[in-house]
Amino acid sequence: MKPAPFLFLGIFCALSFSFVGLVLTNQLTYGAFTTHVDEDEGKAFPQPLPGLAAQGKLVYQDLGCVACHTQQVRREGFGADFGERGRGWGERQSVARDYLRDERVLLGSQRVGPDLRNFAARKNADGTEHNAEWLFKYLYAPTSVVRESNMPRYAFLFKTQPIIGQGSSKALKLSGALAPAAGYEVVPTSRGEALVAYLLSLKDTYAYPETKNIYTAPAPKAGAKQEGHK
Amino acid sequence: MATDSSLPSDLTPERPSSQPHEASVIDASLRTPLTVLISSALIWLLAASVLGIIAAWKLHTPGFLDTCEFMTYGRIQPAQSNAFIYGWGFNAAFAVSLWLMARLSRGMLPGSGVLLLGAAFWNVGVTLGVGGIILGFSTSIEWLEMPGFAAPLLLVAYALIGAWSLVVYRSGRSSEIYASQWYLFAALFAFPWIYSVAQVLLVFAPVRGTVQSIVHVWFTSNLFLLWFASVALAAVYYFLPKLLLKPVSNYYLASLAFWWLVVFGSWAGLSRLLGGPVPAWVQTVGAAASFMMIVPLVVIGMNVFGTLSGHWSALKGSLTLRFIVFGAVAFALWLLALIAGATQGFASLTQFTYFTAAEGQLGLYGFFSMVVFGALYYIVPRVLNSDWASVPLAGVHFVASALGVILLVGSLALGGLTQGALLADAKVPFAGITQASLPYLFSANVGLLVLAIGQIAFALNFFWTLARASAPSVRSVKVLLAAQPEVSR
Ligand code: HEC
Repeated sequence: MKPAPFLFLGIFCALSFSFVGLVLTNQLTYGAFTTHVDEDEGKAFPQPLPGLAAQGKLVYQDLGCVACHTQQVRREGFGADFGERGRGWGERQSVARDYLRDERVLLGSQRVGPDLRNFAARKNADGTEHNAEWLFKYLYAPTSVVRESNMPRYAFLFKTQPIIGQGSSKALKLSGALAPAAGYEVVPTSRGEALVAYLLSLKDTYAYPETKNIYTAPAPKAGAKQEGHK
Repeated sequence: MATDSSLPSDLTPERPSSQPHEASVIDASLRTPLTVLISSALIWLLAASVLGIIAAWKLHTPGFLDTCEFMTYGRIQPAQSNAFIYGWGFNAAFAVSLWLMARLSRGMLPGSGVLLLGAAFWNVGVTLGVGGIILGFSTSIEWLEMPGFAAPLLLVAYALIGAWSLVVYRSGRSSEIYASQWYLFAALFAFPWIYSVAQVLLVFAPVRGTVQSIVHVWFTSNLFLLWFASVALAAVYYFLPKLLLKPVSNYYLASLAFWWLVVFGSWAGLSRLLGGPVPAWVQTVGAAASFMMIVPLVVIGMNVFGTLSGHWSALKGSLTLRFIVFGAVAFALWLLALIAGATQGFASLTQFTYFTAAEGQLGLYGFFSMVVFGALYYIVPRVLNSDWASVPLAGVHFVASALGVILLVGSLALGGLTQGALLADAKVPFAGITQASLPYLFSANVGLLVLAIGQIAFALNFFWTLARASAPSVRSVKVLLAAQPEVSR
């Protein structure tokens, strides 16, 4: 009924259609996105991750935090991510430009836990800023910080060591059942430190021109368009 | 239906053959490779189940097995999905598609050495990949978490296995191409393409920014529609008419559904990015493509349920048919959820909730796996030339699978809707959402346990049958060829 070559050709064309339409066209039109150079601040946004945070991102990837946490703040009216009646997960919605420098984009698909895209810019429940001390303790024993927390423990990112001299400045301030034996302290491993540096770098606060308005994609460049349809 | 009888006879899956033993020769030629593929598939299915139950347990009891880095949720969960998809799903799909292709093209497998090598490579690749995830080399890209070093191995293995479908087709005597074969060709062709594109553009030479997310949903949605759903639909189009002894009704529409799925379905997954940081036109096009899935929904529905109407009593007599009809209903529901998810209101409610997990399970378990189970109940006795060792175990498998899917998908879907509604209400503290979803997570877990009972029954039954059938039968290829040399052509 259908000769095989036509069938193959048809399937090939159908797949090419979506490949060119989605993958190539976007790859080309994203060429129009560049970092935004802020003359006043003398910096280009988004800024690259500092070294330790970049290592921490690898820890985030290998531990699979993305299985429970998204990293994208949706626009106002789409869910309640931010805005007047929102959860305050961001100051604005995430836009494509925010991710320009991300070697690996970790949008995520499950919100078992809160969105983390703008974690470092948010306040704690008691109004204090998130800091390394808070995070270390939280990762070591989440329920010691948030009583009803369902976030898994990451105690394996810490080690217990004998206190030498003054003790480490990074030692966790633990009390009660969590406190280590006398003469010992709990300090983060280097992976733990890197992960916390990464979490503290999660900040999308810079207002790009496109975020001041409702977001629309920039028009594709004429040249790019032609190539895209080839 | 009146129109059916007036259509040409090529509407039945296989043309009658002048050689009385042709089908047995074909089946016998597939015996070794199919045994290997199905055995590996079953081992992976059980492994994935164990991982899945551990992961699901951790969701409601985070303290469970939490001292060890290798058992952390963020590794067990992707290990589970990759073991399920690449271990169970692919091995099983290889087995079913090879058999369907051989039967429909009426070609036998000329030899199985390379195919077995491919199967070995594939399973080594998946083992390395899943092990890599657990050891911390995950890419953290959903459904592609296996570390980069597994990918080339999988592609080579795929070439070694997939090529045989073409060989069988070319060596076959039937020049007709039946609906099942369209889907099989589409699947055969789509996987290496989407997989290599995704590996290159996401892992080896990542594209800029959220183009990655677009490539990613393009991959995942096509992996489901063009690989898993295609193989399963091929089986549905084959077994329905065959077991009901009547042609597919409204068969002339089947090609419309096929092309519609291939052309527009490959865009549909983009609606998952609604509201996300990607260009607005991508979201609009994705939503439009998802809406358009109404056409294959209606056509496949007419094909399947039109053929079934008036023949529902046949379900009682055939286990294969029961599995396949369950799968077809699940696919219809899956398409409905996809279409609903393209609307703003529904998307903003269900996005990022357990509802999406329910959709995934509905598609991969409720549809694909159920159809494959059904197909295997037909294929295995023919290929092994031995009846199933136990009828009660097969019954347990069906009941447990059907109940398990309903329980699992139902609780995740309801839990997801609850979670979504609470997430959208900023007055509810986060811990309140977690608390509210706990009962649903518990019952989803019970669903997983029930499914596991079915899987154990199936695996026992299969290996028992295999053990009983291990003495090579008289119907081996050599004996038959000696009697009928013309069969091999
Ligand atoms: C099993 C799912 C799960 C995994 C995996 C997970 N989390 Fe969480 N996470 C949660 C839940 C649930 C909460 C909210 C509970 C709470 O408020 O304490 C949370 C909260 C958080 C918070 C606090 C957010 C806030 O706004 O207060 C941070 C930071 C965090 N997680 C980081 C991580 C990191 C880093 C990883 C990977 C190492 C990770 N999470 C893995 C479930 C998870």
